[in-house]
Amino acid sequence: MATKKLVRVKVNGRDREAEIEPRLLLVHFIRDVLGLTGTHVGCDTTNCGACTVILDGRPVKSCTVFAIQAEGREIQTIEGVANNGQLHPLQEGFQEEHGLQCGFCTPGMILSAYALLEKNPHPTEEEIRWGISGNLCRCTGYQNIVKAVQYAANKMSEEKHAA
Amino acid sequence: MAIKIEKTFQVQEPLDGVWKFLSDPRKVAGCIPGAQVTEAVDDRTYKGLIKVQVGPSVTDYRGEAHIALLDNEKHEIQMVGKGQDVRGKGSASMKMIGQARALSDGSTEVVTVSEVNVVGLLAQLGARMIQEVSNKMFEEFTRNLRTQLQQERVGGTEQPSNSGTASQPQPIKAVPLVLTVARESAGRLFRRIFRGSGPR
Amino acid sequence: MLHKTSPEIGGMGHSVKRKEDLRFIQGKGTYVEDVHLPAMVYGQMVRSPYAHARIKAIRTEAARNFPGVLAVITGQDLEKAGLSWMPTLFHDKQMVLATGKVLFQSQEVAFVVAEDRYTAADAAELVEVDYEDLPVLVDPHRALDADAPILREDREEKTNHIFHWEVGDRKATDSVLQSAPVKAKLDAFFPRCHPAPLETCGCVADYNSATGKLTVWETSQAPHAHRTLFALVAGLPENNIRIIAPDIGGGFGNKVPIYPGYVCAVVASLQLGRPVKWIETRSENLQSTGFARDYHMTAELAADRDGTLRGLRVKTLADHGAFNAAAQPSKFPAGLFSICTGSYDFATAFCEVDGVYTNKAPGGIAYRCSFRVTEAAYLIERAMDVLAQELKMDPVELRLKNFVPPDKFPYQSPLGWSYDSGNYHGAMNLALEKIGYRDLRKEQEDKRQRGELMGIGISSFTEIVGAGPAHTFDIVGIKMFDSCEIRVHPTGKAIARMGTKAQGQGHETTFAQIIAQELGIPVADITVEEGDTDTAPYGLGTYASRSTPVAGAATSMASRKIREKARKIAGHLLEVNEEDLEWEPGKFYIKGAPSKSKTIQEIAFAAYTDLPPGLEAGLEAVHYYDPPNLTFPFGTYICVVDIDKGTGEVKVRRFVAVDDCGNIINPMIVEGQIHGGLTEGLAIAFMQEIAYDENGNIQGGTFMDYLVPTAVETPNWETDKTCTPSPHHPIGAKGVGESPNVGSPAAFVNAVVDALSHLGVRHIDMPITPWKVWQILKAKGVAE
Repeated sequence: MATKKLVRVKVNGRDREAEIEPRLLLVHFIRDVLGLTGTHVGCDTTNCGACTVILDGRPVKSCTVFAIQAEGREIQTIEGVANNGQLHPLQEGFQEEHGLQCGFCTPGMILSAYALLEKNPHPTEEEIRWGISGNLCRCTGYQNIVKAVQYAANKMSEEKHAA
Repeated sequence: MAIKIEKTFQVQEPLDGVWKFLSDPRKVAGCIPGAQVTEAVDDRTYKGLIKVQVGPSVTDYRGEAHIALLDNEKHEIQMVGKGQDVRGKGSASMKMIGQARALSDGSTEVVTVSEVNVVGLLAQLGARMIQEVSNKMFEEFTRNLRTQLQQERVGGTEQPSNSGTASQPQPIKAVPLVLTVARESAGRLFRRIFRGSGPR
Repeated sequence: MLHKTSPEIGGMGHSVKRKEDLRFIQGKGTYVEDVHLPAMVYGQMVRSPYAHARIKAIRTEAARNFPGVLAVITGQDLEKAGLSWMPTLFHDKQMVLATGKVLFQSQEVAFVVAEDRYTAADAAELVEVDYEDLPVLVDPHRALDADAPILREDREEKTNHIFHWEVGDRKATDSVLQSAPVKAKLDAFFPRCHPAPLETCGCVADYNSATGKLTVWETSQAPHAHRTLFALVAGLPENNIRIIAPDIGGGFGNKVPIYPGYVCAVVASLQLGRPVKWIETRSENLQSTGFARDYHMTAELAADRDGTLRGLRVKTLADHGAFNAAAQPSKFPAGLFSICTGSYDFATAFCEVDGVYTNKAPGGIAYRCSFRVTEAAYLIERAMDVLAQELKMDPVELRLKNFVPPDKFPYQSPLGWSYDSGNYHGAMNLALEKIGYRDLRKEQEDKRQRGELMGIGISSFTEIVGAGPAHTFDIVGIKMFDSCEIRVHPTGKAIARMGTKAQGQGHETTFAQIIAQELGIPVADITVEEGDTDTAPYGLGTYASRSTPVAGAATSMASRKIREKARKIAGHLLEVNEEDLEWEPGKFYIKGAPSKSKTIQEIAFAAYTDLPPGLEAGLEAVHYYDPPNLTFPFGTYICVVDIDKGTGEVKVRRFVAVDDCGNIINPMIVEGQIHGGLTEGLAIAFMQEIAYDENGNIQGGTFMDYLVPTAVETPNWETDKTCTPSPHHPIGAKGVGESPNVGSPAAFVNAVVDALSHLGVRHIDMPITPWKVWQILKAKGVAE
């Protein structure tokens, strides 16, 4: 077994560190070491996106990133999306528009949508579908997920104008 | 999963020398990356090992190869081989027909047609790669073959170093292999797409 | 009959936002993999690379001695405890860990338990197995050949034939097929596919050696049935077993069977006295757990020249893999396949099915299809189009002509089913209007002149769900009732538990809505729990669209029992006789004096503080519901496709789905179910197959090859409804979760064939990949 290495990461705004094997996957670091189980594992070939987290502002599939690659960087998981208990417009949108059923793809889906809206606050339907094309869902058929993202885009745009 | 592999290559050596080399399984094994002959059961049947590495997964096939036909006049050889992974990860079998002929400039052309059958994890993940991995193995084989033949002619080592004595045979490492292969596949794909839309 | 409730109460018909969402959108769900117990260890399977081989030896010393490894279990170890084989859900047994031989690629051979998952994976690589490979059987058509290898040496009869099942009138049907002026024959293969829920199967087995209690967190759609089976098979007292099915990330039938991984985890936990977690990878899920379909079907239709149907003859070969692990009612080896007469009025029909073993993963389960109903609906809807082509008749006209008319319900089908209610013309006409059928046919005509390929596919399916009445239905002997237990607290809030287990269907909301409808207690005040066998009443679980028809009915009946007791209490509080009271959702009032009333909340409080003499305290009820019949949801789907002549790609331009599931509890949730099921149908029709090569190597074993549609491939679905309540169901509801998966494959395939029918194409087997289409276009000389 390889020598353990110290990894220091900022997770949802908090500094976290642990001694880990270099081969430990980021998703296992998040789930098993940090105890944040909102990020899920749905496949073993980097296809499904259930493990999506945001690494230094970019959505990544954490099953295909080593924890050690996150050394000194910032991660945001689903647990960090709500603001002090106040739901993010995306989270509201998913409930309002029935954008989830079993909930397993939802954290990854929300984070991909989050990253999309950061880059493109007014996406077209096509852009939304492309934006979440790395996240598989077996329950919803995506139609209501698209509506959820549109709900969030509209709400965030309103809030921005109100501010 | 049966895969047909057809390979033709040329060696700048006269037919006799090439044929003598090719009809000696020990010498041939010496040129295949990761292979070694461990026992001669009789003059037509040999036991051996071949190690293939795909990513972190190493498959050590242990098996037998048998020369079904050796025609010294027509310079045709037919071989059948079968191996099982020592840990139980799967098996592979192969039928190969090789034909050597002299070319007008004194060099030799060898035509091989092989059918490879793979069972196990490799057949699932590696199916798309098996053709490419075989290509790479073949390239290395012909490189080694040419080197050996040249050395023999020049009067160097008679026995290839992989006759099971000194160093361990180096397996073809299919991870850098896979990357090269993937890059090349992608390259070919792009060329196919853009063919006809640009200068050749 | 059904009162309308206010949005605050949220009874039937309200699109109440889901209560379960709150935890999921914050990543606070508890799926099995999220369960973390002190001293927990991890299990990993070692699997066979061979489809058929004898095991000569298994060497586990290297694995056992690897640091961090606690146990390595083989079939031989289990044999000592009589556990190397376990019963399947269908009159067969399957190996838990291989003994003697392996029968399919990826079969479980050994179970390694270690301190952490990475160590378990390292150690699994060190287990060595010597195999002697045997000839492989992957073609079910060869299974009964004289020289076919016999797969199941453990069975008394040395044959690959599992069962023969038939129903209907063979003689009358043969005669009609002989004499009919028009005949149409169709060979249709429904490929092996896999439900692939996003969460794979797994469990945490926790045996507490101090108390003797075994707790298993399990991805199970039927926790009570699992508990009973564990008790019977493992010899553990049932009161000392607790199965907890927590949040489940999708099931679709995949999580109904008991898998070797669960048994191994339980055995390991019993052995080590520590919690053992086993979660399979996606590859393991696709390659070894319950597959679906794999039906080779032939349908023959007999008709008059004007298109009136005379008879249907069906013959099917069912490929069950290495063990018959079908999850279906015990008297039905082909499930409810005999619904294959569909929405049409046949005078006579005959259906026979033969099941065989092959060297493939065991099964098949009911993938969102209520036991083979998808296969049946696909067959009849495709056959109708083939007949329409034969008759040169519009497929809509042919269907309208032969639909069971509304006045013939309850309808006795020639294959033995009594359809409760239906209005097939209604659904069809609404769908035709929504899609603009006449204009589409005109457009198709124009496009054909210009050499463009466009197709319209119809599917007018009838489903059969809600298994099922005790006189006919049981799974491994357990009758298929379901249950609900409700308790109303003094402050008027309630908790309810059912014997079902949702995996995304929204029961926490919809079952609360049923109670809200019956008792007038607001949905927000009702907690619904499922899945813990220590607290929930016994039920057969959620699959086959049975939750609403069976447990929903139980919920309604339990609520009515409470209402009856509430009436007594109200009478006492208002000092009148029970007969002088009227009910409206939420309160009883005196007839003619509506201001004199008592709310259900006041009554609940009184149930603990001010009871009429002789009446027991409390306000609760439990009901076990035995459905008098199944229910028959139906619908018409119409799909429009355009085919790219250069690439063979099929684009779904529009898809209209008109569903009739009787009275609807939550329209938003029903719509979501339709979207999801249609997307699964799309995947099956165009991009999915678990195929095997001649050596038994699985070709669709990972998500790289077994394709799940993304948001890009999935079109927008247009949904609508008609409403024909079920006459025998307390709230007139039928269940709908599976309709879209049942009805849609035929719509997609019919559309593609329709696009190419003028070129002489009659049928294309699924999956209809661009490559397949392009080859047809090339053969017909129209490829670009």
